[in-house]
Amino acid sequence: MEKNNCLQVNDLSIAFGGIKAIDHLSFTVNQGEIYGLIGPNGAGKTTVFNCITQFYKADHGDIRFTNRHGEVVNLNDKVTHQVIYEGLVRSFQNIELIKDMSLIDNLLVGAHIEYKSGILATGFRTKKAKREEEMQREKAVKILEFLKIEDKANAHIGGQPYGVLKKVELGRTLMSDPKLILLDEPAAGLNDLETEDMSNLLKEIRDEYGCTILLVEHDMRLVMDVCDRICAISFGRKLGEGTALEIQQNKDVQEAYLGKGD
Amino acid sequence: MREVKDKRRGIDASKRGGSDVNGIDKKGKGRKVTEKKPPYKAYLLFGLFLILLPTIQKMGLIGSATITVLGTVIFYAIVGIGMNVLLGYSGLISLGTAGFMGMGAYLSAYLTADLNLPFLLSVVVSVCIPLIIGLVIGLISLRLAGYYLAIATLAVAEIFRQVFIEFEVVTNGFSGKNAGYPKLFGVIQFDRQLTFIFMVIVLIGLMIFTYNFIHSRTGRALLTMRGSEAAAQAMGINLFRYKLTAFGIATAYAAIGGVLYVHFIRFAYPSGWNLMLSLQILAVIVIGGMQTIEGPILGSFVVFGVPELILKQLPVIGNVDGLAYVFTGVLIVVVIMFYPNGMIYLGNDMKKLWKKGRKHGKEQLPASE
Ligand SMILES: Nc1ncnc2c1ncn2[C@@H]1O[C@H](COP(=O)(O)OP(=O)(O)O)[C@@H](O)[C@H]1O
Ligand SMILES: [Mg+2]
Repeated sequence: MEKNNCLQVNDLSIAFGGIKAIDHLSFTVNQGEIYGLIGPNGAGKTTVFNCITQFYKADHGDIRFTNRHGEVVNLNDKVTHQVIYEGLVRSFQNIELIKDMSLIDNLLVGAHIEYKSGILATGFRTKKAKREEEMQREKAVKILEFLKIEDKANAHIGGQPYGVLKKVELGRTLMSDPKLILLDEPAAGLNDLETEDMSNLLKEIRDEYGCTILLVEHDMRLVMDVCDRICAISFGRKLGEGTALEIQQNKDVQEAYLGKGD
Repeated sequence: MREVKDKRRGIDASKRGGSDVNGIDKKGKGRKVTEKKPPYKAYLLFGLFLILLPTIQKMGLIGSATITVLGTVIFYAIVGIGMNVLLGYSGLISLGTAGFMGMGAYLSAYLTADLNLPFLLSVVVSVCIPLIIGLVIGLISLRLAGYYLAIATLAVAEIFRQVFIEFEVVTNGFSGKNAGYPKLFGVIQFDRQLTFIFMVIVLIGLMIFTYNFIHSRTGRALLTMRGSEAAAQAMGINLFRYKLTAFGIATAYAAIGGVLYVHFIRFAYPSGWNLMLSLQILAVIVIGGMQTIEGPILGSFVVFGVPELILKQLPVIGNVDGLAYVFTGVLIVVVIMFYPNGMIYLGNDMKKLWKKGRKHGKEQLPASE
């Protein structure tokens, strides 16, 4: 594996009841880039995410990730809840936030692995537990400020507009100090202004937080605007890979995806 | 491209300005987002009030039986708080609460009365043994699916009940087991009043302890697990471990409740620790309110206090057999249908209604004149 590699998906396949959702797919994400995974509905994008984050166990292929200590690990050897410890965190297409918690509490869940104190330490409010909580809260406030939703920190998630929810999911991923963030349709349901806001946030995350981003997106404006490189897939197979311009000019891609809209 | 950026900056500036104004106006402290203040003071005041009750009773203002009933309310409230961590925060159900309570009660009675162990040591042992058994049951059943916990605990509680009857060396079988009021450090012999106060202190301590860990990483992990298992796993929360933690808490609190029971009532009888009691504990948190610390206390008062203190005093229907169960059953239905968050929110909502009503009234006054 090359030094600059962040995530390498090798010959990945998974089938559901005979239907191949992912079919021998390979691609590589480099450190520090925003990499887009695009494709028509049902192409298998979310399934790729689920395989990488071990929500699904792939039938075939491996997923090599350079973790936060610089070691290369095969994510297939991990259990779902261990993946984040390696420095890889994801968001969900159908927003998975907790309705009866505040914005800031939802963010703090993202820092779960950063805490050391257990139930006894927190129950007795030891000094260490208190300090830890304060530290994480400060971090959460900073991230809320970065996302420009700090004025809603103590508001409940339930009833918040889509634009805020998508930002909270993004913020929650940042709380674990990840190396690689997987975003499943971060702009789905957002209006033009919010989408623009989101693309700028993604670029800032890459540049200021130093995170690598792998995103799945339907919204071509966002993809073309933010992605350094793009991989287009259809029926679980790779159609092409390259810069936004190259993808736009790729015949297969045009046929399968871009052409469809015309 | 530059145009886009400039536009964005424009938006930012206006947004930032807006939130700054808000921040200063509302909080007066700028940007700092403060944690909700823990209600320790309210808890301590509540505890103080409870502690004064036996004295008030001695002054003749309330009956002696009332103290016994309120003591009952206290240890069931503790069991309810534990159950609430399990059901309210992690969405799991145990049907064996009574069994673990009974085990704690019998063990502590046996250890203090028969083996003459120091009280505090006996408490520790009597809580640890049910806890360990509970964790083993959890280890086995939680690996499968959530509802297996309900089935497994139901089965185990039935086994416990049989043991309470058969294992006469410890439990004294159908004759029932006697226990004494606590004796601290071998010298300080509690009477009923001191035992009551001791229970209040345990209750308040556990309320604070529970509040603390619920409003921390642990509580957030439990709530997340209940709201979205996918999100929980993605954030590194080990579902199995947190389910086991919640069940462990429920079991330990049940055992503590049982220990307090036997040293306050000073008697344990095998048929008391049945499924009906486990269901009553569920009723406590459904009626009182889930996901609150105070809910189970109100719930315990309603389920275990009101029938004894009020219903039984009523003419005619006061003598009806099983009136308490009917009362609880009807209340569960009413609360679930009309007040699903639980009765603990009654006060809050009434305050809101009152304020609204007053505003309304003021607005309407000139018109009516
Ligand atoms: N858990 C599952 N069980 C059965 N089929 C699935 C499952 N997850 C995904 N699929 C199928 O895999 C294909 C790709 O789905 P998905 O990855 O969600 O597409 P998208 O590119 O829109 O995110 C679809 O045909 C879908 O029905
Ligand atoms: Mg999808």
